[in-house]
Amino acid sequence: MGYTLVYTQVLEFLPYLIKGAWISLQIAILAFFGGMFFGLILATIRTFGNNISNKIVICYVTFFTNTPQLVQIYFLFFALPEFGILLSPYIAVLLGMTLNAAAYLCEIQRAGFLSIRQNELDAAKTLNFSLVQQVKYVILPHIMRVLFPPLSNHYIIMTLGTSMAAIFGVEELTGRAFNINSETFRSVEIFSITALIYIVITFIATFLLAVIGRYFFKAKIRIIQ
Amino acid sequence: MPQIEIKSINAFYEKLHVLKNIKLSVSKGEIVSLIGPSGSGKSSLLKMLVGLLIPKSGKMYLNGNLVNFKNQSDLRTVREQIAIVFQQYNLFQNMNVLKNVCIAPTKIQKRNPKEVNEQAITLLEKVGLKDKLKSYPDELSGGQQQRVAIARALCLNPQILLLDEITSALDPELVKEVLDSIRLLASEGMTMLIVSHEMSFVKEVSSRVVFMDEGSIIEINNPKNIFEKPKEKRTLDFVSKILKEK
Repeated sequence: MGYTLVYTQVLEFLPYLIKGAWISLQIAILAFFGGMFFGLILATIRTFGNNISNKIVICYVTFFTNTPQLVQIYFLFFALPEFGILLSPYIAVLLGMTLNAAAYLCEIQRAGFLSIRQNELDAAKTLNFSLVQQVKYVILPHIMRVLFPPLSNHYIIMTLGTSMAAIFGVEELTGRAFNINSETFRSVEIFSITALIYIVITFIATFLLAVIGRYFFKAKIRIIQ
Repeated sequence: MPQIEIKSINAFYEKLHVLKNIKLSVSKGEIVSLIGPSGSGKSSLLKMLVGLLIPKSGKMYLNGNLVNFKNQSDLRTVREQIAIVFQQYNLFQNMNVLKNVCIAPTKIQKRNPKEVNEQAITLLEKVGLKDKLKSYPDELSGGQQQRVAIARALCLNPQILLLDEITSALDPELVKEVLDSIRLLASEGMTMLIVSHEMSFVKEVSSRVVFMDEGSIIEINNPKNIFEKPKEKRTLDFVSKILKEK
């Protein structure tokens, strides 16, 4: 191979890349919590709603879980201006990821609702727990325990999914790697470092989530995979 | 004055008529056993007594006071005095044994945590689970969970205890242990309503036996008569079938 790895030149860009990683993290966190909130509303409707509202939620979830996320963001970015709604790349990506996450997180949270055990609620009622006490002592601890592992997984998937933003010109980690690449043409070095940063981000997140899950919610997660 | 009196109670699960015109009164210290085939309404009757099944018509009096099932404070009063042990134990899976027993007395009845803790440990010791205080329900056998459930109910210091087929999931050796603790409670004068398929136990401890079928009370009689010379033909059919199987 005639290619020699030269990292010195690329390492100068490390602070620039890390700032990009910060933007990736912002998108992931905002979209995740936005998706959690919206997904919780959808899951509530789906669990307790009437026939019509149920069908609307089913359509929403089916659409967003069966079309590529990239296409969904393309639609927001390129099709909405036709209707007079102009979104910046950052907002389009954030919105697209939030809407997509809402569909997945709706299904995950709905599974949590369905896993609540009626017989524990019966016991709580006969022990005179108020509704708030039922939620606090029985429902929430159980739901968090059941939901924490799949939610953590989805958060990690979303963190990696933020690299899609580069396509729309958002200068997050991958976007910045593209920029440096077109300046220096040190592709192997740049993308290996970029990959390494992603690994570090997700590893830290996995570790923190596992610790939180195990010690606060007694979720069964292994800290080291 | 009877401790519990129910008059012409009718209750439904959706459209299914599970309790039909039930009349029963139970005095303090009495042990009333409910027997009958599956689906005859025995468990539903116990559920109704703690307000998990709201009757559509009829009246219930507790210590002479009419219970309004739609009124939360009435329900609270009922549940303070009547404790139930479920067939499926219904323990809180996210709490250890000690927490399961202590949570209602400390958080709901607002009793002194230290005192509750001592009582809980004494009760768990009585049912043979002293070394399982920190275990979670999914680490225990069915029989052990059932005994935790009994301790949980007793820690509330109820006046009346409802037991819903508590020995059906236990192996024969444990049945004896559990029944022994019930016998002890009986000798202490606790009012109890027991749903059971352990006919010899029913015969031994009950003050009266109620035979139910298809949601109705068919016969109320003393334990000797109900097994030896029941008044109703349906009781005779059931009793002779059960005794033949033994």
